[in-house]
Amino acid sequence: MTAAVTTPSKEKPAQRAVPGPGRLASVVRHRAGRKLLPLAVAAFVLVPLGVVLWGGGSWPAALTVDVSGPLDDANEWVIDNRESHPLFLYFLLHLSNTATDAVDAVYNGLDALGWVGFAALAVLFAWRAAGFDRRGAKTAGIAAVVFAVCGLLGMWDATLLTIALMVVAVAVASLLGIALGLAAGLSDRFHRMLRPVLDTMQVMPAFAYLLPFVLVFGTGTPAALFCTVIYAAPPMARLTALGLRGADAGVLEASASLGASGRQRLWTARLPLARKEMLLGLNQTIMMALSMVVIAALVGAGGLGEEVYSALSTVDVGKALAAGIPIVLIAVWLDRTTAAAGERIGTSVPGGSRLLHGWRAWALVAVVTAAAAAANRALLAPTWPEGWTYDISTPVNKAQDWITEHLASGVPVLGGTEVWSENFTLWVLNPLRDGLVWLPWWALLLIVAGLAWLVGTWATALTSTLALGAVGVLGVWTKSLDTLSQVIAALFVTLLLGFALGVAAARAGRFERWMRPVLDAMQTMPQFVYLIPVVALFGVTRASAIIAAVVYALPAVVRITTQGIREVDPAALEAARSLGAGSRQQLLQVQLPLARPALQLAVNQGVVLVLAVVVVGGLVGGGALGYDVVKGLSRGEMGVGMTAGAAIVCLGLVLDRLTQPGAGRSRRRHEG
Amino acid sequence: MTAPEHTNAAEPVFSVRNLWKVFGPKADRVPANPEYAGLSAEELRARTGCTAAVRDVSFDVHKGEVFVVMGLSGSGKSTLVRCLTRLIEPTSGAVAIDGEDVLSMDKSRLRALRRHRASMVFQHFGLLPHRSVVDNVAYGLEIQGMGKAERRAKAAEVVEKVGLAGMEERRPGQLSGGQQQRVGLARALAVDPEVLLFDEPFSALDPLIRRDMQEEVIRLHREEGRTMVFITHDLSEALRLGTRIALMRDGRIVQLGTPEEIVGSPADDYVRDFVRDVAREQVMTVRTAMRPAADVAEAEAGASVAPDATVSAAIEAVARTGAPARVMEDGRCIGVVDHQGLLAVVAGLGPSDQKAVAA
Amino acid sequence: MRTKTRNARTAVAATAVLGLLALSGCGAAETGKSNEAGDKKTVKLTVPSWVGAQANTAVAAYLLEKELGYTVKTQQMGEVLAWDALSKGDIDGILEDWGHPKEEKQYVETKKTVVKGGDLGVTGHIGWFVPKYFADKHPDVTDWKNLNKYADEFKTAESGDKGEILEGSPDYVTNDDAIIKNLKLNLKTNYSGSEASQITAMKKYAKAKKPFLTYWWTPQWLNAEIDMVEVKLPAYKEGCDADPKKVACAYPNTPLQKFFNADFAKNGGKAAEFLKNFKWTTEQQNEVALMIADEKLSPEAAAEKWVKANESTWKAWMPKK
Repeated sequence: MTAAVTTPSKEKPAQRAVPGPGRLASVVRHRAGRKLLPLAVAAFVLVPLGVVLWGGGSWPAALTVDVSGPLDDANEWVIDNRESHPLFLYFLLHLSNTATDAVDAVYNGLDALGWVGFAALAVLFAWRAAGFDRRGAKTAGIAAVVFAVCGLLGMWDATLLTIALMVVAVAVASLLGIALGLAAGLSDRFHRMLRPVLDTMQVMPAFAYLLPFVLVFGTGTPAALFCTVIYAAPPMARLTALGLRGADAGVLEASASLGASGRQRLWTARLPLARKEMLLGLNQTIMMALSMVVIAALVGAGGLGEEVYSALSTVDVGKALAAGIPIVLIAVWLDRTTAAAGERIGTSVPGGSRLLHGWRAWALVAVVTAAAAAANRALLAPTWPEGWTYDISTPVNKAQDWITEHLASGVPVLGGTEVWSENFTLWVLNPLRDGLVWLPWWALLLIVAGLAWLVGTWATALTSTLALGAVGVLGVWTKSLDTLSQVIAALFVTLLLGFALGVAAARAGRFERWMRPVLDAMQTMPQFVYLIPVVALFGVTRASAIIAAVVYALPAVVRITTQGIREVDPAALEAARSLGAGSRQQLLQVQLPLARPALQLAVNQGVVLVLAVVVVGGLVGGGALGYDVVKGLSRGEMGVGMTAGAAIVCLGLVLDRLTQPGAGRSRRRHEG
Repeated sequence: MTAPEHTNAAEPVFSVRNLWKVFGPKADRVPANPEYAGLSAEELRARTGCTAAVRDVSFDVHKGEVFVVMGLSGSGKSTLVRCLTRLIEPTSGAVAIDGEDVLSMDKSRLRALRRHRASMVFQHFGLLPHRSVVDNVAYGLEIQGMGKAERRAKAAEVVEKVGLAGMEERRPGQLSGGQQQRVGLARALAVDPEVLLFDEPFSALDPLIRRDMQEEVIRLHREEGRTMVFITHDLSEALRLGTRIALMRDGRIVQLGTPEEIVGSPADDYVRDFVRDVAREQVMTVRTAMRPAADVAEAEAGASVAPDATVSAAIEAVARTGAPARVMEDGRCIGVVDHQGLLAVVAGLGPSDQKAVAA
Repeated sequence: MRTKTRNARTAVAATAVLGLLALSGCGAAETGKSNEAGDKKTVKLTVPSWVGAQANTAVAAYLLEKELGYTVKTQQMGEVLAWDALSKGDIDGILEDWGHPKEEKQYVETKKTVVKGGDLGVTGHIGWFVPKYFADKHPDVTDWKNLNKYADEFKTAESGDKGEILEGSPDYVTNDDAIIKNLKLNLKTNYSGSEASQITAMKKYAKAKKPFLTYWWTPQWLNAEIDMVEVKLPAYKEGCDADPKKVACAYPNTPLQKFFNADFAKNGGKAAEFLKNFKWTTEQQNEVALMIADEKLSPEAAAEKWVKANESTWKAWMPKK
């Protein structure tokens, strides 16, 4: 590895070329052959058997299991028993009532501060978390702008309600995540068990489990809170485990050598050493929680989500945007604050007044906030003054009309989005879907098994094949293939754009700075806000669903690509430059090959994120599984929704295994 | 070769007998099986899939000495030192501290051992990056359960002792490597242990700083007389610091003796090769180079040197006077050193060769 | 030793879980909170996702607050979720229901936690619609028998070689796949997935004066903006939609219904009485809906405007003293 980095990289391709493609190819053939041979033998026996027994073509009906029935029965049982069964009376209802009370308490607390008091709290909190110094002042400035804009948009009260829900959700999700992460960080067995659970929690569309949560916990705050917690806890758990596992072994050994007990080591060494990862986990948890704001409104949680959602019913993009912007801004505020706090860890040089450090500084924040709240109470109205608002919906709607009108069909030569969407559907999506559907079921299983075996181990192959089989067993084979074709197309577009933008951003700092807020907005803006413009531009087609997925997944791919290329060993780059490599050569021969692990991670993340918005695709004409999930929720058919949700999870499992970054070694041989 | 020494009357601090540490599948069948005893490391790995990091090692560490374990990387020395406090669990054998069996200690006894009796200084320092210098130094005391004010006061004293006064509130990240290792040393000292264990503490440091730190250890040893076990791969460091040196290769001790014994009479070719470039006159003492006085005149007159003085010191005395020097112990002449004897030591000739020259 | 640690960890985890259970198990939790409604004079109403129903809620809420002195809490949620919430007492009333036979059976007949609240006065109708500009050009399109003739006109990239019929949100009952199959029509459904998407698409077609066929309904505020003409399907007969797979007839006319939480209906006082009396016409509802959707008034402002102009109508809803 070290050799590869330090040798002048121009030599590398040359060296590789010496053995000649012929020899490499034979190695590939040899290796791949050795792997595929047993599979071929198995297929030779099993496929005819399967075809004779169940026939070719689409997934055989004999091999499906009806899970909707039992699920619907469970649904009934809950409705009939929730007012009398002890499980509800003594446990679940307590949870639900506590959740409501907690959110109400936080909301009332924030509301009691008055708008001046709350703004003071938000700004000072950001400042304190980022350190009371000049850099922290920048973060505080961001906070001030954020809340001024929220007020100006007339969203003050909704913002407050959303923040109250977020505070409780993030707190619960963090605690849950830390608990899980602790267990996974300390026990290998638990770590292995937890991974698929976390994967499911993140890929299972929230729409699918919203219904059971509503039935169990009731509409409004509790269901919204617990769904948000489920979706937001995984990053905290993962990063906590990562931090605990990645702790400097030397420090832990030193701690053990001084006779620390397990608990002492945890509190004094493991946890503090994992602080950076845990803060990153918190950051991710907050972002995930914010992305649930609108979905939470579907079950009556209110707040900004409700504003977005009700704007949709009147097809009012401007109003939706006015509610979407505060969500983005809250995300920016919390992201910058936690990021600044993270940068401080381990590097802080205590200096200046003692008043500005440690608990004294927090006390200072509390005192100033209380003073501001008191002043607010004495002098001003408790809510944001109504005169200080500005209605953006009319100009936004006008702009949207103009844009859609001109872009949809009026672009000279290029045609416009409508034409593109039509051609994309006709020439890419339809052939892809029809091809997948046309393939006999056993052929598809075989292809997946073969691919998975090539990129990984027999376990990878088994998992992916079983997961794909499970889709068939659930009885949603054709719909899943439709969704799969959309996911593949969306992934392709995302990677194409993502790699291009990522490379550009890595090579031009100014471009990256300009992109950053755009990417932030793309990632955190609720998809519901841009549904209408997307449909207006691309029509009710699967192409619209793909656009929505691309918009959501692109930022992560761009970021990972940029970072991967940036972090390429400068020595290797310098060596290439010293040999006179041009900018293009540097990119193609040094940066991209060395950034391969990052690029693979980008692919994997792309898959996960694209799958996460399959449901949103269902709202703009994507149909298939996404539509079924929405239908399950809105028609109260738990069977339909959960089945489609489970199928999405299975597809996610297949695609995740096929793109697993760890499986890269054998793939390299392939490309060599 | 690895025969323990029973000459010292005092009870040894550490007593290690037939210690094995084997990594790999079914590791515990390796030490018991005499079939494997004669195999080299590669052969053993080929036969069993196991790696024996420590193979049948026995030695004693005496009170107040600096016991150096020296060997190249992979010789098992770091594993060995970790076996002493069971940071790595030995596969078989016996380890005793002050006569108490370490391997049979339960968790809390073992913890007490690590807290109070033996503390360790690590190659990569192992400092807590989120704590200030003084809190790092106080860490061991904190683990013992000492109150905050008390432990900080105590730590501050030790910080001063290792020459870090004024840096109490810095973070490890703001210190140089040498300073960080001083913190590591202070942390080990703060708990006032019976034995200090050093695991290649200075190999990550620059040569000049390494020398400073060695001086520091020598000074501490001189002032406090604490027993130390010191692991190093640096021969000159071993010779400088060691009261006795155990030289390890492939998990075994190939020679155990004073620096002079190692340099003066290497046990085998490996050791000989190892010490070939050592400046022998700096290590060998006059005792090796002397011969009995030829007559009374020789025993009565001439410059005098101590028997423990280095050969280089004797060369200086002989060169200045031009005549053989007397070796005096307790006011009695126990022999003389002359040009011939001193040169033979410098040339690395053994006693028999020396005779041949003399004849 | 390792097993010992694991056991210890398991023990800690078990203790934690038990502790949690013990904490929550100290007493039975309160179920539903509907009894508050009477005392604190709070009425909880659902806000459905379509504008017509928002108009009902807005007007009712305005009158409850301004005329009867109640506090009204509105909550937005899906229809079936609203039924469930109604049963639990999380909300007190649904003012516009397009027919949920399954829920009605479960909650009204079996559990008796929900009671019927009478007609809203508005009649809903679902059907297949084409824009008027297309029907004017091809008058015979309004008979389903001629639809195959025009299938080519409705073709899109999504529907391939068949004609497209645009479908709406999954919230709404549709038999269209069965109707197409049973009437042997050369059409294909395209599920837009949300009302917003469907409306956006329709507006787009209308602007370009392109032909399209859609699942649609009245009353709907968009009908004031885009003139739609219904395509006549085989007439609805009682029971012709009993088996969802064999449907080959039009959708029925649905007199929209109100439903209340049983407790609220009994103990809800003036508020319950007022909501039971609440009844208006399709035109009146549309008037408010248009103010909200087209003039972009807030629901409260629209309600206020309508209430000021139609005192005679709402006076009749007021509870008798």
